[in-house]
Amino acid sequence: MLFGVMLFGVMSFSVMPSTLLAVGWLAPLAGTIVALATIPPLIALYFLRLRRTRRVISSTMLWTRATQDLRANVPFQRLRFSLLLLLQLLALALVILAIAQPQVDLGESGASRVILLIDHSGSMAATDARDGKSRLDEAKRLAKERVAALNAGGLFSGPSPSIMVIAFAKDAQVVCPFTDSAKQAIDAIGAIQPTDEITVLGDAFELARAFSTVTNPDQPSTAPQQSLAYELFSDGRIGDLARSVLRGGETILYHSIGQTTTLNAGLGTIGVARNPERPEEVQIYAQLLNWSSEPFASDIEVLVDNRLRAVTPQPIDVPGARDDAALGVRIPGETQFAFPSMPLPTGGVVEVRLAKHDAIIADDHALIVAAPPQALRVALVGRGAFVLRSILEGMSLQSLTTYSLSDWNESLLQLPETPDEFDVVVLDDAMPTTLTRGRYLIFHAPPVGSGISPFGVKENVVAQSIRQEHPLLQYVKLDDVFVASMVAVAAGGDADVIVEASEGPMIMTMNRGLLTFVYVTFDPMESGWPFQRGFVNFFANSIAWLAAGGRSAVDEPLTPGDVATARLPAGAMNVKIVLPDGTALPLPSQDVQKVSYGPLRVSGVYKIVWTGATGAGNATSMAYAVNMNSRAEGRADAAPEIQLATERVAGVQSAGAADRAVWPWLLIGAIAVIALEWWFWLRRV
Amino acid sequence: MSEPLKIDDLLDSRLMARLDRLDVVSRKIFTGKIHGERRSRRRGQSVEFADFRNYSHGDDLRFVDWNIYARLDRLFLKMFLEEEDLSMVIAIDLSLSMGQGDPNKFDYARRLAMALGYIGLVNNNRVSLFGFGSERVERMTGLRGRRRTRELGRWLLDRTADGEAGFTEGMRAIALGGQGRGVLLVISDFLFRDGYEKGLNYVAGRGFDVFALQILSPQEMDPARHGLSGDLRLIDSETAAETEITASTAVLDQYRQSLEKYVAELRDFSVRRSITHQVVETSLDLDTLLLEYLRRRGLLA
Repeated sequence: MLFGVMLFGVMSFSVMPSTLLAVGWLAPLAGTIVALATIPPLIALYFLRLRRTRRVISSTMLWTRATQDLRANVPFQRLRFSLLLLLQLLALALVILAIAQPQVDLGESGASRVILLIDHSGSMAATDARDGKSRLDEAKRLAKERVAALNAGGLFSGPSPSIMVIAFAKDAQVVCPFTDSAKQAIDAIGAIQPTDEITVLGDAFELARAFSTVTNPDQPSTAPQQSLAYELFSDGRIGDLARSVLRGGETILYHSIGQTTTLNAGLGTIGVARNPERPEEVQIYAQLLNWSSEPFASDIEVLVDNRLRAVTPQPIDVPGARDDAALGVRIPGETQFAFPSMPLPTGGVVEVRLAKHDAIIADDHALIVAAPPQALRVALVGRGAFVLRSILEGMSLQSLTTYSLSDWNESLLQLPETPDEFDVVVLDDAMPTTLTRGRYLIFHAPPVGSGISPFGVKENVVAQSIRQEHPLLQYVKLDDVFVASMVAVAAGGDADVIVEASEGPMIMTMNRGLLTFVYVTFDPMESGWPFQRGFVNFFANSIAWLAAGGRSAVDEPLTPGDVATARLPAGAMNVKIVLPDGTALPLPSQDVQKVSYGPLRVSGVYKIVWTGATGAGNATSMAYAVNMNSRAEGRADAAPEIQLATERVAGVQSAGAADRAVWPWLLIGAIAVIALEWWFWLRRV
Repeated sequence: MSEPLKIDDLLDSRLMARLDRLDVVSRKIFTGKIHGERRSRRRGQSVEFADFRNYSHGDDLRFVDWNIYARLDRLFLKMFLEEEDLSMVIAIDLSLSMGQGDPNKFDYARRLAMALGYIGLVNNNRVSLFGFGSERVERMTGLRGRRRTRELGRWLLDRTADGEAGFTEGMRAIALGGQGRGVLLVISDFLFRDGYEKGLNYVAGRGFDVFALQILSPQEMDPARHGLSGDLRLIDSETAAETEITASTAVLDQYRQSLEKYVAELRDFSVRRSITHQVVETSLDLDTLLLEYLRRRGLLA
C-alpha cells in the first residue's frame, strides 16, 4: 500500500494544482528502482522465511483450530497483521522516499530549472498594488523574493535551481539567461521597464524552450529534456492564453498580481481627418471603452501640441461592460464621439484625453500626428481613364500633369529624376521603360524590374483575402467586387500583398528605397469597382499614402511594440530619435534614406530628427504617435486564475516558500521507525 | 516442582497424614470380590442387621438366629448388610503431551495418582493402575492395603510420558480387564487428536463411577500470561506437526475460545454419560485439589 502511494506520488504532479501542497521529486527513478528492488523481497521474506521461534507444546490441535477459525474470518489470510512487517515496510518506504528526494513546496515543482515570466504589459501599469505601486513593481518585488527563496540554501532545503527571467508583453525578452546567481537574476528583474504593449505569452514559452533545449547540430543530444517550471507574475489578462499549451514535463505557477476589483476606462481608437473641402480643418473622433460593469462618464479634452483646444460640453457617457458567458470574455461598453471641425492649418500632435483618470493612465489619453495639409503634384501617365482623371481632378491637388506613355518615357530619357518632380505618378495601364525611383500607383501593367513576375491572365476573379486594417483599404470594401480579368503575378519577396484572390495577388505595395509603388494587378475598367465609393477611397488613400512616403497622410498611431521607420531625404545627417521623455538617441542609418527604431514600448510621441547634408540649417523631424490599445490591454481587473489551452491554473497571492527538501526528515523518520521496530522486536523475542 | 525421583517425592509424609483421614466415595455401591469396608446393597456377612428369612437347606448355620429358634422352634436366618471392597482403577496418560508444562503435567498426574492410590490402599480398596500410551497399556492390578504403597509409588516412578496418545486402547483394556465395579479415575490432558469419545464410551455404563481429571498446564490455560508471544513455530510434542502462529491478541483470544470450547465439549460429553469431569491446572496445589476440589466433587470424603 505504501509502495502504491509512493508510486502515485511519483507519477502525479506533472501539472501542479497551484493551490495545493505539491510534492516534486528530484530522483523519482532512483526511488522507484530501490522500491522495486527492496519492498517485494521484504514482503516475500516475511511470508516465505519469517523468522519464528520454535516451541514444543503438548498439542497443536487447539492452535490449529484457533488459527483456522481466525483465518476463516479474515478476508486476506496471508496479509494478517504484523506490526513488525508494517514497521519495516514503513521504515523502508521512508528510506525510499528519501532516495527519491521529494521536495515540498507551496505550489511549484521541484524542477532544476525555473523560469520567471514577468508581465510588463500595459495593464501591469495599473496602480492597485500595495502602497499605491504599480502591478509591475509588485511583480518585480515578488519575483525578487521568489529568487531569494529559491536560493535560500541550507541543509533542509533543496538544491538551488537555475533561474531564467523573461519579461514579456507584445514580445518576449530574456532579461537574464539561466543562472545560479541570485544577484544576477534579481538585478535583471530590477531592470525590467514598464511598457504599454499588449500581452502575448506564447513567445515567452517558445523563448524559454529555445533556451532550455540543448542544440548542438554536431552532437545531437539524446538526453531527456529537463523539466521546466514556469512562474508567471502577471495580472492574468493575457491575449493568447487559449493558445498557450504546456508541454510534457512543464509546470506553471501563476502569481496573481493586482486586485480583481480594479476598474478602468480608456480610449480605443482615435482618428483625425482633414476636410477635403477645407484641408486646413480637421475633424477629430475617438472611441471610449469602459471595462467596468458600471456606466462610466468623463469629460474629454483635446490638445494640439500640448495646448488645450477643446473640451466636450458635457461628460461622455459609456455604458458598462458585459460578460459574455458563452465566449467567456468581457465585452467593454463603448461610445464613439467626434469633435466639431477645428482649424489645423499646420501639422501637429493631437491628443485626446479623459479628464478623469483611473487605474491605468496610459490609455486615458490617445495621440495622433496630423500631417500638414499637403498640396500634391500628381502625374497621370497612360491612357488617362476618365474615372481616374475625374477622381484626381476632384482632389485638392497642387498640380495634375497628364502624360502619354511615350512622352513619359521621353522625359525619363532626358531627365531620369523626372519622377521626383511629382509626389505621385499614376500609371494607367502603362509601364515606362524604367522604374527605378519615384512613387507610383500602377494599374494593370506589371512593374518592370521590381521582382514581380507576370505569368498569365486570370479571369472572373473575386477577392478572398483582404487586409482590411491596411491604410490603403480604409473605408474600402472589396467583398463584392468582381474582376473580369487580371494579370497573374508572382510577388517578389519584398512585396506586401494586401488583397489576394485564389488566383494570385490583386493589390500589393512595395517600398524599395527610392522606389515605392502600389500595384493593382487588374484594370479597374475591367471590373465593377469604379462604380463603388470604395474605389474613390482607395484611390485617395493610395495617393495620400504614396505622397507620404509609404505612410498614411494622417498618421495612424502606432501601437506599443511597433517599429518606427522613416524615409529620409537624400543626404540626411545627424539622425536621432527623441523619446517621449525627451531623451534623444542617435540613430545609425541602415541605408541612405531609411532609418528604423523600435520597438516603441511606451505610448507617447516619438520624433525622428535629422539635418541636411551639410549639417547646417534647421533640423527636420517626423513624429510618430504611439497609443496603448485599450481594447486589448485596458481590462484592469486581475484574473484570479488563468485558463490555458489544456488546463486551468489558479493564482497564488504570495511568492511562496522555497523548495523544502524532505529527505532529511524522511531519514530521521526512518531511523525512528527502525528504533521502534527494534524495540517491538525485543519485546516480542 | 522438580521431577519425582523417589516415592517421597510423589507423596510426602505430611500429605500422607492428611490423606489418612480420607476415603474414596462412590456414588454407586458395588459388589466386590472380597469383603471390604464398604456397605453393600447385598446382604451377607457384616455386623449391620438387615432382615430375617426362613432357613433353607444349605444355608450357613452360623447365621441361624438361635434365640428365635428357641422361642418359635423355627429356623430363621439373620441377614446382614454385606460390606464389600471397592475396586479403584487409576488410569494415567503416558503420552508425550503429558510431559509438557510447568509444573509438568505428567509429574503432577503421578503425584495425584499416588495420592488417590494411597487413599484407596489405606481404605483397603482394591487399587489398579493403568498407564496408556501409544499402542501399549501398562498395568498393575490387585493392590490392597497400606503396605502396597511402595509398590504403587515404584510403579508410578517407573512410568514415563514418551508415546503418542493411546486413550481409546487404554479405556478398552480397562473395560475388558475385569477389574470389577468401582471407581475409575482417568488422569489425562484429554488432548487426543483422534478424540476421547470412543474411549470414554468404553468405560461409561460399565459399572464404573468414572472421574475424568483433565490435567492442563498454566501455559495451556493462559498462554498469553505465560510468555507465549511473537512469531512462533509450534511443534506438537506427539506428532511433531508444526503450526506457525503470530501470537497476536486475536490469535490468543481465538486459542482461548478454542480451549474453552474443547473443555466444554468434554464436560458436556461427560455429564451425559454420568462421568464427573474436573479440569485441574498443574499450578494448583495438590493439597487443595484433594482436600477441597475432589471432596467437593464427591470423589473423596
